[in-house]
Amino acid sequence: MDWLGPVMFVLVFVLIFIGYPVAFSLGGIALLFAAIGVEFGYFSWAYLNAFPERVFGVMSNQILLAVPFFIYMGTMLERSRLAEDLLKTIGLLFGPLRGGLALAVVIVGTLLAAATGVVGASVVAMGMISLPVMLRYGYSPELSSGVICASGTLGQIVPPSVVLVVLADQLSISVGDLFIGSLIPGLMLAGMYAAYVVFVAFKNPAAAPAMPKEERAEYSAAALAWRVARALVPPLFLILVVLGSIFQGVATPTEAGALGAVGAMLLALLNGRLDLPTLRGTMEETAKLTTMVVFLLIGSTLFTLVFRGVYGDIWIEDLLTNLPGGLIGLLVIANLVVFVLGFFIDFFEIAFIVLPLIAPAARALGLEGPMMVWFGVLLGMNLQTSFLTPPFGFSLFYLRGVAPKELPTSAIYRGALPFIGIQLIGLAVIACFPEIVTARID
Amino acid sequence: MDPAPPQSPPVEPAPASGWPRRALAVVRAIDAVNRAVWKLVLWLTLAMVLVGTYNALSRYFETHFEARLASNAWIELAWYLFSLVFLLAAPWALRIGAHVRVDVLYGRVSARTKRWIDLGGALLFTIPFSAFALFIALPAVQRSVAISETSPDPGGLARWPIKLVIPIAFGLLLAAAIAEALRHAVWLFGSDADRTRIETSDRSAGVKD
Repeated sequence: MDWLGPVMFVLVFVLIFIGYPVAFSLGGIALLFAAIGVEFGYFSWAYLNAFPERVFGVMSNQILLAVPFFIYMGTMLERSRLAEDLLKTIGLLFGPLRGGLALAVVIVGTLLAAATGVVGASVVAMGMISLPVMLRYGYSPELSSGVICASGTLGQIVPPSVVLVVLADQLSISVGDLFIGSLIPGLMLAGMYAAYVVFVAFKNPAAAPAMPKEERAEYSAAALAWRVARALVPPLFLILVVLGSIFQGVATPTEAGALGAVGAMLLALLNGRLDLPTLRGTMEETAKLTTMVVFLLIGSTLFTLVFRGVYGDIWIEDLLTNLPGGLIGLLVIANLVVFVLGFFIDFFEIAFIVLPLIAPAARALGLEGPMMVWFGVLLGMNLQTSFLTPPFGFSLFYLRGVAPKELPTSAIYRGALPFIGIQLIGLAVIACFPEIVTARID
Repeated sequence: MDPAPPQSPPVEPAPASGWPRRALAVVRAIDAVNRAVWKLVLWLTLAMVLVGTYNALSRYFETHFEARLASNAWIELAWYLFSLVFLLAAPWALRIGAHVRVDVLYGRVSARTKRWIDLGGALLFTIPFSAFALFIALPAVQRSVAISETSPDPGGLARWPIKLVIPIAFGLLLAAAIAEALRHAVWLFGSDADRTRIETSDRSAGVKD
């Protein structure tokens, strides 16, 4: 019956591809294999008595509690159109420069876009707000779509983000450490994106023109300064307070997330944007995404429970710890697997299904403490690259959904290529110099 | 978004008859319950954020100003609310298609194939899964209720009510999955009028396609 684990592992990926909600597919498949195991006397139903206790563990998990808080904060900033104001204001600020709008997209993407952690949501939001503006001002379709796809997914691995919270929980590392560890790599990538934008703007000014003079004349210096003070400073301050309080150890990530959510509501209120539709929209989105993420975890908990019950975990761990090259071999394989899976399935599925299988093997091969954080950052960056890679990348797919028909899909694909190049350089740098991640973690 | 209203008074689709009519009545009843639960849950997200903020601030003031504000009751209330949100939102999230799918294939198939996938998924996955979770949780929950279990921490909340929510939530999820199965079965095997009725209700619920 040793084949039961491997068959289960392969079948789960086949079955979730059919397209039924993943959380329940996982739960259903787990029960199916439990029944087969019991039938052959290889598994006992009593093993599943641990399930209610696991569900209760999820309910009282203080780390996961941060997830709805960050979702709430991100959605509130988006629904109250504060994120849009931020993008437009930075656009005005940098507009007079060549490539200014693209730089604005990089900055906003890094700061805000992916607080909710769902690739689709952030790329769609950035695409709807900034793509039409960039195209109207004569930006090349390639640069516009490339920078939106890349920046929209970058926010996921720049703190604070839901994805990092979930990643930390699954790798059993501290959220604060992962936030600290991912900050420099994230900023490094953002810097490389910005450098690329500047490079294009100077080499090929037609691809990234400055805003036309007439548009700029509408804003006097004083008016612009007022806009910056009103639309740029407060959200920036909010993000810095949330991050700062975590890094200083004043607040836990969960506490900081709650403060961020209320802070976002206060900003909306001060801007006269906290009306009932905005509040309702934020609450709905928070409820939807929270139940989606947590039920995915509950489904995969049952899956993992049965998978262990049929000794699948031992099979995977043997497989992964006996790879040629030891730890390096594991890192290469883990990254390859995650990269390929990233074509088809979103972050949370990978975090909940694959990471619990990889993490014990990584630990068995001696990866621990700050190096586990490094591993987490590496996987996060890797996935983000995967989301950008044609023809399947999520990011491209979602941008296609909101881009005007005149923008050819091939332009979206071509636009992503330079950013994939940047990602690969970034990945290589982080892989070769783990200190970039680990240096600031105690 | 909505189609322009027709010029003449809208023609009511012929009343459904036989098993589709009874099935749709069940579906409507389940939908009504889960939608009402959902509307309550929405406000709980706000409550959760406010309680979380209270906890953050009270711990801060306690550390720095020796005020006595924080308590285990408030800390537990935050995760109680979190539990209520994700557990009770799940059934209506199933109705409106908010649970994440791998849509590489699903996004490319016809409406009919989608209904088949969702019918099969409800029957093979969600119904067994939620029924299992409901029944396996019952003994532990019964024990908890019988002894009026409370928090092991001083000043904590009663524990049994939140544990009682687990079987309730999976019960509602089970009902929602049965409603989905019936809905898709009626769409697949019922009359054109049934189909129209289901599609209208899908639109008003805000189902993501």
